[in-house]
Amino acid sequence: MLSRVNAIETQELRKEYRGRAVVESLTLTVPPGEVFGFLGPNGAGKSTTVKMLLGLVHPSAGRVQVLGGSPHDPAVRERLGFLPEQFRFQTWMTAEEFLRFHGRLAGLKAAELRARIPQVLETVGLGGRGGENLGGYSKGMLQRAGLAGAILARPQLVFLDEPTSALDPIGRVEVREIIERLRGEGTAVFLNSHLLSEVEQVCDRVAFVKQGRVLRQGSMRELMGGVLPLDVRVDHLPPGLLDTLAGLGELRHTDTNTPGRTDVELWLDHEDTIPAVASAIHAAGARLYALKARRPDLETMFLDLIEDTPDSSARTARLGQGAARA
Amino acid sequence: MRNALLIAELSLREAIRKRLVSVLLLLTALFLGFYLYGIVRLEGTLDQRSLDAGLDGRSLNGASNLPVIYSAMFGMYLVYFLGSLMAVLSTVGAVSGDIENGVMQSVIARPISRAQLVLGRWLGFSAVNLGYVALLSAGLLGGVYAITGYLPPAPLAATGLILLSTLLLTALTVLGSTLFTTLANGIGVFVLYGVGFTGGILGSIGAFADTPTLTTLGRAANALMPTNALWLGASYHLQPAVALQISEASRGANPFFANAPIAAGLVVWAAVLAVLAVLAAMYRFSRRDL
Ligand SMILES: Nc1ncnc2c1ncn2[C@@H]1O[C@H](COP(=O)(O)OP(=O)(O)OP(=O)(O)O)[C@@H](O)[C@H]1O
Ligand SMILES: [Mg+2]
Repeated sequence: MLSRVNAIETQELRKEYRGRAVVESLTLTVPPGEVFGFLGPNGAGKSTTVKMLLGLVHPSAGRVQVLGGSPHDPAVRERLGFLPEQFRFQTWMTAEEFLRFHGRLAGLKAAELRARIPQVLETVGLGGRGGENLGGYSKGMLQRAGLAGAILARPQLVFLDEPTSALDPIGRVEVREIIERLRGEGTAVFLNSHLLSEVEQVCDRVAFVKQGRVLRQGSMRELMGGVLPLDVRVDHLPPGLLDTLAGLGELRHTDTNTPGRTDVELWLDHEDTIPAVASAIHAAGARLYALKARRPDLETMFLDLIEDTPDSSARTARLGQGAARA
Repeated sequence: MRNALLIAELSLREAIRKRLVSVLLLLTALFLGFYLYGIVRLEGTLDQRSLDAGLDGRSLNGASNLPVIYSAMFGMYLVYFLGSLMAVLSTVGAVSGDIENGVMQSVIARPISRAQLVLGRWLGFSAVNLGYVALLSAGLLGGVYAITGYLPPAPLAATGLILLSTLLLTALTVLGSTLFTTLANGIGVFVLYGVGFTGGILGSIGAFADTPTLTTLGRAANALMPTNALWLGASYHLQPAVALQISEASRGANPFFANAPIAAGLVVWAAVLAVLAVLAAMYRFSRRDL
């Protein structure tokens, strides 16, 4: 039952707290079934954006559409899942009671819940511990319980606000698997994070925000300008090999400083060229030690973007103008 | 409505699981036991006295039974006071508490309207508070009856008015918890409660000293916060003729008991105020950022 309406659409969304813009002219589109990464430094307005998309916070201006309707419409929220940044739940409940309560609020039938609750507890790695009080849960276990709540009612769109902030490395991998499974089921995921590697591995598209503004958004490829960096290591460079490689892609960098080893960085237009590179190296008679396609590196991009963007001082001036106009 | 009932049920379970209910039951037992023991001793003394005086029995509604009559009235005043205290303390964080500890976000993200949530909280806490007051009243009046055979003239009407006061206080506290932090709310509602009591005192001094200004002030305070007026109305129903005569003779110089029934308009206003408070709480909470 995949609907074709966009999971999220916002236009010029804006939120002010005491006259200070926390989210500014945010225009986003997330198609159905997409995993969307929302990246930004602390205080960038990520959580505020998610809360506006859920109807928890009222926007100061702009338009929000979630699953084709308003988040204030309970019928829309029925199809949403949410893991809050601060995953605090009623400590006097057991995890099962917590899930039953949320399931009933979401409109699930008792019989459905009986089957579904053990299933989601298993998924988030809390199998067999659902009978314990949440008050006795560790921080990571609480976050897992919250995640179980978010996916409980088989939503079409899930908001995860830093879902791995309290998790151990295994938990992080598990969350990635859960997100991938959600994508497989056609569920859209809106992932808030500043853990770049996490976003890199699961997201179809990302947006960078800073001080309430989107600096850039697009797929990883688009953000990297559509190129695919390829690292090659061979024992030596037979004559003519470099020319052949230059014919396959853009030769960025050659390092022959270490005797018996040559590193070449090549920018390809397309993944399909990688086997051709390997064949060319074999044909030239060089021994191939490494051939690695680098995923577009979010970390570098993130740092560049965040550092290159004019900071508070410039922005305060701009805000001042805005206030003067208003 | 289904969602509101779900929240009400949650609030009830919360009260039970957080041991609120067991603590209440225990304290109720203690209070009633203590008070009723006093009455047992009082009854013994009175019986002894009437024997010594050579009488073979006291009239239940006569002057000789006044100590019992007054102990039932003061007992009910304590019920009203404890009920009010309980209504404020249990409900003070009904909404704000969940906002402050972060529980609210995941709940409100579910398909439940905020108005339903407020309604459910009010229903749930009202059930706890009303149950408590009803239990205390029944225990006290029933206990006095079992020990002495005395029952006030209209115990149901009196208890009804006290219950209405508890309901109103619960509604105002729920409203406060959508407006303020838990602490500020608790202080605020107690101040309001004090305003009601002040209204009663001003009114009774005004009547006693025949000062219209004071009476008007008292009336204004009663309109703003009718809880005390409701108690005074209840106290009227607890007094047999002999006690009312004493009240009238003192021209109402007693802020705890009234010698006239409460105006029907004020009862209606108290009920309307409770409903308005819940509606205002719904409105306010719907507009709030979480
Ligand atoms: N209720 C509020 N009142 C005033 N300011 C607020 C409120 N909520 C958020 N802000 C401000 O909005 C800005 C963005 O907050 P937000 O929580 O959205 O950041 P974030 O991107 O989620 O950060 P983090 O990575 O630390 O979670 C912050 O500067 C914060 O101070
Ligand atoms: Mg955040």
